[in-house]
Amino acid sequence: MHEGCVMNQGGNTQTVAPLDPNPIEKRYGVEGSQVQTSPYQYSTGSDAASWTTHSVDNQVVQQNGNYSNSNYYHPQPPVPATGNVQETSSSTSGTVNVAQDYSAYTPYQTPSDLQNYSNTGYTNYYSGCYQQQQPSQPYTQPVGAYQNTGAPYSSFQNPGSYAGTASYSGTYYNPADYQTTTGGYQSTAYNSQTAGGYVNQTPTSSNQGNYTSNPYQNYTPDAANIHSATTATATPVHYQQNYQQWPGYYSQTEVPCAPGTENLPATSAFSQSFPVAGGVASEMPASNGQPAPSYAQNWRQETDSSQPPPQQPAAAVSASNNAYWMHQTPSQQAHYPVPPQNHYQSPLETKPLYETPIQGHQRATYPQELNSQASIHQAPLGYRQPTQTTPSVDTQRVSKIQIPTNPRIASNLPSGYTKMNKERSPAGATQTPAYVSVSMSNPKGHTSAMPEPGTFPKALCGFVERAFARCKDDKEKASCQAALKKIITQATNDGTINTRDWDIEPLSTVLNTDVTNTESSSAPISSLQNKSPTRRPKSRWEPIVESKPFVKPASTFTSGVKFGGWNHPNVNNKKSSETFQKVDAVTGSKPTYFAQNSAKKSFQRPVKRQRFAGGAIDDEESSDSEKELTPYYSSAMSLASSADEKKRRDSRSKRFEKVQGHSRGNDIPKPKISNVRRGTALRLGEVLDESCGSRAVEDMDWDALTVKGTCQEIEKRYLRLTSAPDPTTVRPEDVLEKALSMVQDSPKNYLYKCDQLKSIRQDLTVQRIHNHLTAKVYETHARFALEAGDLTEYNQCLSQLKILYAEGIEGCTLEFAAYSLLYITLHSNNNRELLSSMSRLSKEAKGDEAVRHALSVRAAVTSGNYVMFFRLYKTAPNMNSCLMDLYVEKMRYKAVTFISRSCRPSIPVSYLAQVLGFAGTSSEGTGEKENDGMEECSEWLKAHGASLIADSNGDMVLDTKASSTSLFMPEPEDAVAHGDRYLDVNDFFTRT
Amino acid sequence: MAYVSMGEAHRRITEYLNRFCDAVSNQDSFTLCRLLSFSSNSPSILSLADALNVFQDASSLIRQSDKFSEYGEIIAHLFRSLQSYRVGNLVEAYLAFDKFANAFVQEFRNWESAWALEALYVICYEIRILAEKADKELTSNGKSPEKLKAAGSLLMKVFGVLAGKGPKRVGALYVTCQLFKTYFKLGTVNLCRSVIRSIETARIFDFEEFPTRDKVTYMYYTGRLEVFNENFPAADTKLSYALQYCNSKKERNIRMILKYLIPVKLSIGIIPKDELLQKYNLNEYMNIVQALRKGDLRLLRHALQEHEDRFLRSGVYLVLEKLELQVYQRLMKKIYIIQKLSDPARAHQLKLEVIAKALRWLEIDMDLDEVECIMTILIYKNLVKGYLAHKSKVVVLSKQDPFPKLNGKPVGS
Repeated sequence: MHEGCVMNQGGNTQTVAPLDPNPIEKRYGVEGSQVQTSPYQYSTGSDAASWTTHSVDNQVVQQNGNYSNSNYYHPQPPVPATGNVQETSSSTSGTVNVAQDYSAYTPYQTPSDLQNYSNTGYTNYYSGCYQQQQPSQPYTQPVGAYQNTGAPYSSFQNPGSYAGTASYSGTYYNPADYQTTTGGYQSTAYNSQTAGGYVNQTPTSSNQGNYTSNPYQNYTPDAANIHSATTATATPVHYQQNYQQWPGYYSQTEVPCAPGTENLPATSAFSQSFPVAGGVASEMPASNGQPAPSYAQNWRQETDSSQPPPQQPAAAVSASNNAYWMHQTPSQQAHYPVPPQNHYQSPLETKPLYETPIQGHQRATYPQELNSQASIHQAPLGYRQPTQTTPSVDTQRVSKIQIPTNPRIASNLPSGYTKMNKERSPAGATQTPAYVSVSMSNPKGHTSAMPEPGTFPKALCGFVERAFARCKDDKEKASCQAALKKIITQATNDGTINTRDWDIEPLSTVLNTDVTNTESSSAPISSLQNKSPTRRPKSRWEPIVESKPFVKPASTFTSGVKFGGWNHPNVNNKKSSETFQKVDAVTGSKPTYFAQNSAKKSFQRPVKRQRFAGGAIDDEESSDSEKELTPYYSSAMSLASSADEKKRRDSRSKRFEKVQGHSRGNDIPKPKISNVRRGTALRLGEVLDESCGSRAVEDMDWDALTVKGTCQEIEKRYLRLTSAPDPTTVRPEDVLEKALSMVQDSPKNYLYKCDQLKSIRQDLTVQRIHNHLTAKVYETHARFALEAGDLTEYNQCLSQLKILYAEGIEGCTLEFAAYSLLYITLHSNNNRELLSSMSRLSKEAKGDEAVRHALSVRAAVTSGNYVMFFRLYKTAPNMNSCLMDLYVEKMRYKAVTFISRSCRPSIPVSYLAQVLGFAGTSSEGTGEKENDGMEECSEWLKAHGASLIADSNGDMVLDTKASSTSLFMPEPEDAVAHGDRYLDVNDFFTRT
Repeated sequence: MAYVSMGEAHRRITEYLNRFCDAVSNQDSFTLCRLLSFSSNSPSILSLADALNVFQDASSLIRQSDKFSEYGEIIAHLFRSLQSYRVGNLVEAYLAFDKFANAFVQEFRNWESAWALEALYVICYEIRILAEKADKELTSNGKSPEKLKAAGSLLMKVFGVLAGKGPKRVGALYVTCQLFKTYFKLGTVNLCRSVIRSIETARIFDFEEFPTRDKVTYMYYTGRLEVFNENFPAADTKLSYALQYCNSKKERNIRMILKYLIPVKLSIGIIPKDELLQKYNLNEYMNIVQALRKGDLRLLRHALQEHEDRFLRSGVYLVLEKLELQVYQRLMKKIYIIQKLSDPARAHQLKLEVIAKALRWLEIDMDLDEVECIMTILIYKNLVKGYLAHKSKVVVLSKQDPFPKLNGKPVGS
């Protein structure tokens, strides 16, 4: 895990650096570098320890937030510090700040200040986050652990857990971010430049996502308290999922923590607190804002108090999340209020403005938000990017808080917290609900399905997680998955996804109760528990749910599009704006957070920042992806969907599995899902998303994945697939049959035929056709390959044929049994293999002409009977002579060696030409042919160092005594240094 | 299954538990072996199995006493395996036994002395036998047999426990032999290489210090590997060692060794007495030996064809097939001797026509080109000394020792 994390971090930082181009990016890069130190991970480990201690403190939470990369950070920061603190903490040392705030604000605060300042650039925040993470690590090791987990998550996400994270975030706000980020990751593949940028974003986004999720959880509680238990539960669930997922992803990080024992306690505590915080975050903030001491208690209390407490937490969370959070929270609150949706929606609608701004520039969006509750948003914006907006809206709630936090950080934090709390308290309750609703709305906005998923995510995610948690093995999971899918699809179809109380659904009564009863403790616990066992399920599920959430978040986050998605699928901007507005409406601070986040992530900052903010990060990514990155994402999507990519992802995720242990294995499917999610995120509103999502869900169902070709072209060039096969370029069976006969009758050369046959084979493979036609194609190709001496291709075909024959598919089994025997005898020369293949021959097979011939050749070769060999060579049935060609040279050399040793004084070349198969290969008898054989033979002999003289009759004879010491085996004329003449450059060009 | 009362079952299980725990605490390897050997089908084991099937809750018995529960996990797996074994569910029995073996090996690793080596031997043996049986069951159910492979990896694990320094090292060869048996059965003999390397390159432990029984088995299997590689001198050394140290009462083992040693000896020109073949019922080699003595190519080919399946399975077919050249040599020698009787002065000139004629008498149809080819090979491989005059179609034999004996060296060296 550490390694993985480190790697990820490294990747992140790198990526960050690229992204960083903006100041923020730079900061990120710096941060990243700092982070890269792997302090994150490591720190996480240590952090974990501190966490435990810290965990008690708000700092821990903050740290968690920080550590968790942006996600945790955000949540934490929000939690601890209100908008300001949160922002700062979330961004830079927000968490730290928070933690510090509690313990020592100043140190962290500086970071937080940076963050705040950086708000200009979320980058700062991000970097701040990173930094914070580092600091946070020291500070709140527990948090650090979490953060680490978060970081790992992000890193994980990068690896392929991306999808998972994406999916996670997808479920919530984060999901969207994740998706985008994931998309970015995929496209760039973790590393890399775009990826780098993305990665950064992703991490941040993921963080944000986490944050968001955290907020969600918080909210959920709130929501539950306030609005509907289901939503609340759902949010908690999400949290849990997120946590779990994170854990899963980060199980490494978690593991580290666990190893730390302290961590374990911490984690446990964390988990409790976290989840709670995840809620925890909210709690933390709440505690921060109000009574820092016992977050959980606060939470609980809050939850108990329901709206007010939730509000605070939510607000805190949102704040911590940064603007995003804030926004989200507000939005969430709005969502929560969703029940009061109208009102919130209206805010959301106002948000559309935000969206547009966001897309264009988060600032703009913020301002819009500000419009609704614009001031706040703007303030965040201001934060992000120069705080331009900050003054404006933030001032109201978040901005004020943030601003203070920025400068003062520590002090600010408290104040901010208080403010936030206040703000939250007012709007907090509603805001939290709004969150939920927002997420819901987002999905809806994008696509009905998407929104639904989004809504689902909370409750559904929890539900799914629980279901998976109960699965003991993959089989169970698969069946469970199928069942869940059904249920979800049904719910989606009849529109009950959102309304249904998933918590009450059969599978997850326990979790539900836990979540609802005590979100903080239970949720964390559940999340922790889920982490290891449920990770896989989560990942798979998450993709589904998350994809929806992601979409929502993405929409929201993506300034315009995402938001639009939230509110209205079609009009992403509008939706996003709506969401923002909602948030704003709920709590101006939240919008500000978003704005800040976006501002921070100036380069694609809006998007990134959004992600960072929690949902914000995701949004940024999504927006970025949508706007700038769309191509990347789409490519990422296609990559993700491709089998190859999946494999790679799987293998990547496996790496982590090893570290993490059991849970990883399950993650494998997740990557796919995540891919799908990413895809969905990328093409948020598109139909493809849905299909991808469904595919992801069914990722184990190969029948469903099997392509049914529609291409009617008979001729098709072979191109190695780098993505999922496109049915329009795949030929159905009847066309393939025509293609095969076309190739068989084609007068063109082998390279053309090979190319065509490979494309036929590919089409057969992707359509999973295993029948006589398949056998025929492979047999045909094997024969052509033999004819051309292409042993590589021949071996491929033969191994496939063996499988096909073993399946009972009829074909020329005896012919190929003979080839196989000859190949072993003449090429591999493995006694044991030869013995076993001989002993496998049935009596019937031994009666076959070709097999008998092959056995005779074997006897001739083992005894060195060259006369017999060349006679058999001339009478070879089928393509046996082609295989014998492999040995002709050796056999001739052997024969001449024997002869020159044994015969004296000389031997006529004419005799050799006759015995060694030079003469009369095509048509026997005529003098000309004999002569041709003579010339050929003497040339061959000379080439091999034989001494040729003319005897008294003038006939050419071989001087055996002289030759016996001078014979040598010349280098093959077509030999190339690398050993494969088919790699010859000219051949390559002719082939291509 | 005889009826067993609950009380009786309880008594039997408790007794077994007592004996097991006593054996472990007293380091009584002999008793432990008897308690573990399933395949012996001893009455005590069978009655315990019956008792277990009557008294299903044996684990509660184990938990009742601290004395038992110390080895509770080990015994619980063993009981489960025994239960399944008794009712004929061999796959289940294997799986449980595998768990038991793992637990036992874990325990064994912690024991400083090697007192339980014998018990470990029994476990290694039983796991292999059980795996073979389980694979049979799987095959008959149309499933792919994989348990023996699994047993192989378990044995490899045990080998790892024993292969280091210390008193347990002496047990390594036994496990090696069980591994050989597994790998040969699976047809994955290439996996033997790493084990062999570990045994033969270890300088800290003299090969001679291993138990004779294991040394013989080891030499037998490594000798067989050399036969596959057609490395006859090495195969001769190893198999001869095995034969020499093999318990002379174990006729079956001696026969197994001879099945490989005889072809190896024949390949280096050493022909066994008929009594040996008769004593160990190695009749499949009778005709081959006869053909070598007489130079009867037809007999050799018939003998190979007759026992083709058997020779292919045991892996000596290709070795025996190569005896053909020696049969040719014998045939040439015969012709030479006959010629010498009629015309000593020209006896060293073998006309290809004459050889073709002799082969025809053996119902082997060859034209002069092919005969010439055979003669070139014989001369090249130093089975015949002399040269071939192509123009006159005559083989001119050396006047000194025209048909050199192999004298323990392989053909062509």
